[in-house]
Amino acid sequence: MSEKLILLVEDSERDEELEIRALRKNGIRNEVVVAHDGQEALDYLFAEGSYAGRVNAELPTVVLLDLKLPKIDGLDVLRRIRADERTKLVPIVILTSSNEERDRIEGYELGANSFVGKPIGLTEFSEAVRQLGLYWLMFNQPAPGRS
Amino acid sequence: MIDAASSVAEALDAGEADPRGYARAILNILEDASFERAQLEATQRAVMNILDDAAAERAVLAETQRAAVNILEDFDAEKKKVEQANVDLRSENTERARAERALRRATAAAEAANKELEAFSYSVAHDLRAPLRSIAGFSQALQEDHSDILDEEATRFLRHIREAAQQMGELIDDLLNLSRVTRAELRRENVDLSEIGRAVIRRLQEAEPDRAVHVTIAPGLDASADRSLAEVVLTNLLGNAWKFTGKTPQAEIELGAELGEDPPVFFVRDNGAGFDQRYADKLFGVFQRLHTAAEFEGTGIGLATVQRIVLRHGGRASAEGALGRGAIFRFTLDEARP
Repeated sequence: MSEKLILLVEDSERDEELEIRALRKNGIRNEVVVAHDGQEALDYLFAEGSYAGRVNAELPTVVLLDLKLPKIDGLDVLRRIRADERTKLVPIVILTSSNEERDRIEGYELGANSFVGKPIGLTEFSEAVRQLGLYWLMFNQPAPGRS
Repeated sequence: MIDAASSVAEALDAGEADPRGYARAILNILEDASFERAQLEATQRAVMNILDDAAAERAVLAETQRAAVNILEDFDAEKKKVEQANVDLRSENTERARAERALRRATAAAEAANKELEAFSYSVAHDLRAPLRSIAGFSQALQEDHSDILDEEATRFLRHIREAAQQMGELIDDLLNLSRVTRAELRRENVDLSEIGRAVIRRLQEAEPDRAVHVTIAPGLDASADRSLAEVVLTNLLGNAWKFTGKTPQAEIELGAELGEDPPVFFVRDNGAGFDQRYADKLFGVFQRLHTAAEFEGTGIGLATVQRIVLRHGGRASAEGALGRGAIFRFTLDEARP
């Protein structure tokens, strides 16, 4: 079993930097692959497009998925991940600015494993990322046959 | 008669020859004449009878005719009435169709406005919060990661930036909440306000364990209301009471209902900072604050939200206060019964 990696789907470079900083500050050293839009996320997962020929296409241990994304939005990414035999069991955490009720409902309906609003304060934000990393990388037991 | 007269004349002529035969003949003639007269009388009576019968029948006929005319007149009047009713109905239908069209247009406009509002708040939720997180986040990261090159003043400036961003975040949240309260479907059920009040106070106490506030909550405050909206009302009112008693020694907060009112009038009373009664009507406006942020923090949206929820329930909200002597907020969650 190779090292556990995180797929971070995030279009904001600033949020990306704060998220990765929070992971590192909290001692989470796992590899983080960043996809900047929905299409890139799907390409990575299915080894297509710019990721075509990605050898030994490992699945991430957890996908941190923003909802408002260019090209293909987060809920659509989620729908396609769940619709595909290869990826339907990958843990997905929606990590988003919004705390809209309908996003939460739709997210869970489409099979998200968790829904976390990004807090505005850095301390709270950092704590949320720390707990997420700890839980999904350390405590959660993925479905058998997955990375 | 003519026959009898000619017979008498004949008999007179014959009588010159035979006087006895003549007398007999005259008698015969007279007998015949009287018989004929009786017959004539009978005939006359019969004719009279027939005429009487005819007159009676004619009267019946006339009566029948009048009745028929009456029926026809009535029928005509009915027909006119029906025609008028048809005309009325047609115009009513036109009127109704017009009203329905107007209603459809208004509904469509309201729906469009609602959709737009929803899209707007959705975009506010996402797009306004994201840069704020960067402002707050990086100013704190700067502080944390580079404190060795920041002097005291730089540190203070960074703190101001962070706090301002935090405050704006709360504003956005409260505004979104206010707009959600307007859009959300109202689902009435039996709600125990006492229980909700106790939960709110518990949360406030947990957030500020050092505060000692004497809280009285009347038991059995039942209301027919939307549960989540009733929670928002009590969170705001009790939260305000909690906040504005923050500088009051022996702070007291009470949640109760006024006796004998229908619908029930609930109230939240405190002995905190209070407010000048002159500004009471301003309290429920969006962004209206009667205290500076330095005195008591807040966004000025909470009471507007309370007011909107209460109005959506058909109720009323009012405030009464005196500077330095606390405040009482009353509200109902149902329409006043006539």
